[in-house]
Amino acid sequence: MLSPERRTSMAERRPSFANFSGNSNHIDTLMVPHLAGIEDPLPETTPEKVDVLIAGTGLVESVLAAALAWQGSNVLHVDSNDYYGDSAATLTVDQIKNWVNRIHNSKNESEPYKNAKLYISSSNIGPDCKYASRDFGIDLSPKILFAKSDLLSILVKSRVHQYLEFQSLSTFHTYENDSFEKLTNTKQDIFTDQNLTLMTKRNLMKFLKFVLNWEKMPEIWQPYADKSITDFLFNKFKLEKPQVFELVFSIGLCSNMDTKVPLALNRIRRYLVSYDVYGPFPVLYSKYGGAGEVSQGFCRSAAVAGATYKLNEKLYSYNPTTQVATFTDGSKVTVTEKIIMSPTQAPEGNKHVPEQKYEVNRMVCLVEKDCKEWFSEDESAAVVVFPPGSLKSGNKHVVQTLIMGSGSECCPQGTSIWYLSTTESGVRAEMDLDAALEALEISIIRESSEEITNDNDIVQISDDGRPIINSVRLGQSFKEYVPRESVQHLMKLSYTQLTSTPPFDVVNPALFDNDELNNRANSVNKFIPNASDNGIIYTAMPSSEISYDEVVTAAKVLYEKIVGSDDDFFDVDFEDDDNDAMPTGASVNGVINYENAIEDDEEDIQMGEDDSNEFVGEMEI
Amino acid sequence: MHGIKRQQYSREILKQKRIQDQQKIKTYKDLTHSALDTRDKGIFTTDALQLTSKILELNPEFNTIWNYRRDIILTVTNDVKPDFWENELQFTMEKLKRFPKVYWIWNHRIWVLDNYPNATDKIWLRELFVVDKLLSMDARNYHGWHYRRLIVKKLESINGKLMDKEELKYVTTIINKNISNYSAWHQRVQLITNIFNKHELNKKEMKDMVLSEISYITNAIYTDADDQSVWFYTNWFIANDIVRLVLTNDEYIKMLKDIKDNVILINNDDVEFSGKENNWCLKILIVIEKTLKEAGYELDKDEHTEEYLKKLIDNDPQRRNRYIYLSTKQ
Repeated sequence: MLSPERRTSMAERRPSFANFSGNSNHIDTLMVPHLAGIEDPLPETTPEKVDVLIAGTGLVESVLAAALAWQGSNVLHVDSNDYYGDSAATLTVDQIKNWVNRIHNSKNESEPYKNAKLYISSSNIGPDCKYASRDFGIDLSPKILFAKSDLLSILVKSRVHQYLEFQSLSTFHTYENDSFEKLTNTKQDIFTDQNLTLMTKRNLMKFLKFVLNWEKMPEIWQPYADKSITDFLFNKFKLEKPQVFELVFSIGLCSNMDTKVPLALNRIRRYLVSYDVYGPFPVLYSKYGGAGEVSQGFCRSAAVAGATYKLNEKLYSYNPTTQVATFTDGSKVTVTEKIIMSPTQAPEGNKHVPEQKYEVNRMVCLVEKDCKEWFSEDESAAVVVFPPGSLKSGNKHVVQTLIMGSGSECCPQGTSIWYLSTTESGVRAEMDLDAALEALEISIIRESSEEITNDNDIVQISDDGRPIINSVRLGQSFKEYVPRESVQHLMKLSYTQLTSTPPFDVVNPALFDNDELNNRANSVNKFIPNASDNGIIYTAMPSSEISYDEVVTAAKVLYEKIVGSDDDFFDVDFEDDDNDAMPTGASVNGVINYENAIEDDEEDIQMGEDDSNEFVGEMEI
Repeated sequence: MHGIKRQQYSREILKQKRIQDQQKIKTYKDLTHSALDTRDKGIFTTDALQLTSKILELNPEFNTIWNYRRDIILTVTNDVKPDFWENELQFTMEKLKRFPKVYWIWNHRIWVLDNYPNATDKIWLRELFVVDKLLSMDARNYHGWHYRRLIVKKLESINGKLMDKEELKYVTTIINKNISNYSAWHQRVQLITNIFNKHELNKKEMKDMVLSEISYITNAIYTDADDQSVWFYTNWFIANDIVRLVLTNDEYIKMLKDIKDNVILINNDDVEFSGKENNWCLKILIVIEKTLKEAGYELDKDEHTEEYLKKLIDNDPQRRNRYIYLSTKQ
């Protein structure tokens, strides 16, 4: 049964893909393989015997399936949904409707989604309306990809990047004093910024240099090892609140004030070392849908390596003694090695799904505004971060927002998708998300309105002739601003997603210990009589992390459990090795040789006497 | 180019490379022999021109061949096709893209422009655009900056209009992009010297420029106190005749003392942060004290040169003997 309503798949978009590659010689190697259930009919039967059964086509499961398939394992990869992606899916508006209904009717006691609320403007989206349901691709787990990250390396190594198109994202806004501040994160920004004091410039540069090599300077951070990053930046680097918030929440994308120093330093560095790898931007996202596209790409790769795919296939039970897995349609398969399963796919009567004690609260709005004001030129996405205490709800946790414009091909011209999320839980989370949404709305109306307050009121000239932004005035005018129009919501979805991974932490390998070997050693995980999922290893649900950073770690841990070691994880030797370069999408093409704006080039000039006499000679002292 | 790792070859790879290169070496040797031979015989034909093209393709460092090429061009100049000169520019551009730091290519390109038949200022304006492009690819190529000065000089003499002020704006945008660009700071020295020496500003404008330069430097040393380009420029600026002439002696002394205070503040901040003094700060402080004394300002108890040198002897052992020598001269 094919999904009745869906967006065009990678393979169906292939002509445009061939165009952008711009090299007709490589069309063969760029072939996007067909995927069962999308372009190919679903197989009527399942194999009798496989090495590994994977249930759920989310990110971790798909990366794992591809890694195992290329390693030579015989993989059966199923999904109980009629689409690919599972917890990482990119869905149309109608598919979202069904998804919400499914959650409401779920009989799964360990259902990882709850509190789903959906509003659809039926006068705007639907048959004979301005917009069709499939004009939109809505991500259940919106993600951004750092230019220097393990997933990007794997994408290149596995060649899955050839199925995808990436676009750059360089705008990170920090919401402060009721306005959106753009980041000051390169040496150029710091040098030319007229609003920073000289000492702030110095402290900021000092920190940026330090953080690139922080492990090598324990004398600086060790005394603060157990302290929070905000404490460290305020006291050791004497930075001021706007810079601290920018570094911790926008660059580091941390969740709250208390993030510990080493963890936060790694997160801040992640951004900085990613900047200028492919151009003047730190992150990328895949066009046509984020995590959904990436996981589909890995499924296609797995299919090329021989994995069997089946949608609408739900496990009924597994018998670890006979190694037979039975599906709800009555078919059976013998699994010689392991069953890996996403909690979303757990069979009825399951008893082993790990406790999902952390909440990620999400809100998605389809908005009839192009939001170009928030994007950099030639870009179509932005990140907006609301630090703790910046919202009128008095938020204790950060609200992270990913804005996608029509250039991402996830929504039509003149519209945009706003993804808001927070690690706050319960009613407070709802209040925070509502407050953030309101702040976004007011801001976009104000910024796209023609009757903006006169700039002269906002920019003042200081005594030494430098312009200074009057943030008080800006804040006032913002507060006093009464929007004459309101933002048209085409769809608004909010839901709580549960996960076993704490906010901004990596997956705990102990989660995957629900297999026989460990059952013997660990009495806690004993088989439970009448449980339908004895012996099944559950994957972790996506965490609150906005980047893809946890995915490869989790897939590797699982891979090691099955294969015994992760040495040959995607150790693939492709025959046509002439195409190793990273042909990232059109916006990335042609951008080469950017020097890292922060790192110093020691080779620039030697202080040596022969080299330095161009205009000053040896410094005359 | 900066930021590109030098490739290390193992002995084994070098051996293989040599075997592979043998054919290339033979071709190259044959070509140079026959080219030098035809040159010695005084042959200046389009065939000989082809021959030089082949050699320069392999080795653009061979200036003798560039010379021979120019001799040939001057001889056959009436027989060449109308697009010859344009192709010759294209020829040098291809080489420059591969070898951006070979003097002879830049040299030949200028010669081609100088000899371009019926040239107007348009060709030089276009060349300025070409330099913009080249510098945007590698803003720290000293050749590019040198070439830019030649082009600007040419345009100035054709149009009878000085371009130093526009050029200063250009170089400022480049320095803003990366304050570690030594070539760009050097260009700044050239331009400011020109502007003052050619009396392009009135008295008030000169003073404004010096003052804005002081704040530009201050901004730069605060942004990165470990960057030697900035310190070198500071060193040039504070002891410069231009600054001395534009400011009254009192103003000059005040400027030096202001910079001194800022440098001391930066150094103290470094000590507080890491426990280490900033050697650049110590060095520039010595220069400032010397300059203050030359300007007739009595430091008396405030003089710390001896102390700074002692610290440098400890902190910078590579230049230890130089500091010892300097302290004996005190």
